[in-house]
Amino acid sequence: MKHSLQDQILIPQPSKRRFYGHGIPKVDLEDLAGKLIVVEGADGSGRSTQIAMLVEWLEGCGHATVQVGLKRSTLVKEELEQAQQGNILSRTTLSLFYATDFADQLENTILPALKSGFVVLADRYIYTLMARDMVRGMDAAWLNNLYGLALEPDAVFYLNVPPEELVQRTFAKNAALDYWESGMDIGLSRDMFDSFMKYQKEVQLVFRGMQATYGFSIVDGLRSAEAINSELRKKISGVLAGKEGH
Amino acid sequence: MKTFAELGYPGRLVAVEGLDGSGKSTQIYLLKRWLELQGLKVYFSEWNSSELVKSATSKAKKRELLTPTTFSLIHATDFADRYERHLAPLLRAGYLVLCDRYIFTAFARDVVRGCPPEWVRGLYSFAGLPDLTFFFQADLGVSLQRILDGRPQLKYFEAGMDLRLASEPEESFRIFQGRILEQYLGMSTEFHFTVINANQLVEKQQCIVRDLVAQRLNLADFRRAERPASPRRAAQRANPRIVHREETVE
Repeated sequence: MKHSLQDQILIPQPSKRRFYGHGIPKVDLEDLAGKLIVVEGADGSGRSTQIAMLVEWLEGCGHATVQVGLKRSTLVKEELEQAQQGNILSRTTLSLFYATDFADQLENTILPALKSGFVVLADRYIYTLMARDMVRGMDAAWLNNLYGLALEPDAVFYLNVPPEELVQRTFAKNAALDYWESGMDIGLSRDMFDSFMKYQKEVQLVFRGMQATYGFSIVDGLRSAEAINSELRKKISGVLAGKEGH
Repeated sequence: MKTFAELGYPGRLVAVEGLDGSGKSTQIYLLKRWLELQGLKVYFSEWNSSELVKSATSKAKKRELLTPTTFSLIHATDFADRYERHLAPLLRAGYLVLCDRYIFTAFARDVVRGCPPEWVRGLYSFAGLPDLTFFFQADLGVSLQRILDGRPQLKYFEAGMDLRLASEPEESFRIFQGRILEQYLGMSTEFHFTVINANQLVEKQQCIVRDLVAQRLNLADFRRAERPASPRRAAQRANPRIVHREETVE
């Protein structure tokens, strides 16, 4: 039997959109036809693998995609990189610098892409930024106000991988732990390995605490990449079909 | 939000606010000189001057990359850097900190640019309030003329061109500054601005400013502590005619 090509490409259903707080001035939420999918998780949790597989799949299904991530804005990417290397910024400053980076991408990439009907894949979103700051003792109310500028995604997947496994994956790739991913700036331990384990545990606790508020799907990141991806696809198909993402 | 006195800091913060061209920078400079010449611990900080954030800000402004939200955030970043690395520690150490523009500049400008007022205030809620805020109020026309006379080329963001208020930079600047003035006046009571009539002579204004500072702050608290006598100083005291060069420079 011959199928018309028209039947094979799913036309996404509109989402109920809202900003978490005050949002971005002068944005008409009704205009945002695309979908925003967020993949969260620590370094080594398999985020980029999953996103690459999702892009393949989505494009195969006829959906246009755009990718965003942290520290990728035209505005402050270089300066942020520089500041981080020197470890010279104090916490509120670094936090606001990251927020600037996020806002630039939100306004110049995410919102225009959604307006054009793209599926936007975000390799981390405000949750990582908030979790990092909360572990560093920043005020939750202050962070909620700051990131009230963010748009609520259609789905958020948190790839959950225990620190014991993260450390193995990191070593398999780099043979070195990252200063920031080890939370060395907080002084949890002078031993980098200990610091990494403690820091990652704390971040995971904060993420679990945020789950109820932000409705993450917690995904078991210890399975094979294919198994994880098929779970993500199933949920994203639901989002595209207009079922509530979370 | 609390003032630094209310927060229990030994230092005090004095801020000046006003439109571009209101003469506030001249006034705070003269205040600074007066305090320094009395041998007080003084630190001066200008809006938008953090070294780290500067390169991002100037690049962004040159390329006109900023939206109201990122404009607001990048200035908050600059402020946070100065606040956490300089202002707060110096205030803890008992300094008199003078600020040419403080958070009220952001409250006024960002709101005129369309950011939600509560959001902007929330961004700066980590900061203490000044112990004394002078607001220099000149006739709008006088301020505008001063700027326009001195700098015929208005910068894009300075003129509020991003708001598309007018196609002419000068006209845009007039409308923009008028709106900022409205915001300032709206905040004046809430944040206890001390309003100075900036149409007066420089000396007359400075006289009022110095009087108020002396009344409201106990300046004796900000003297540099006498250092224990070093052998060199002891020698100098014994024979006052030996003057060391570096010590003559006050």
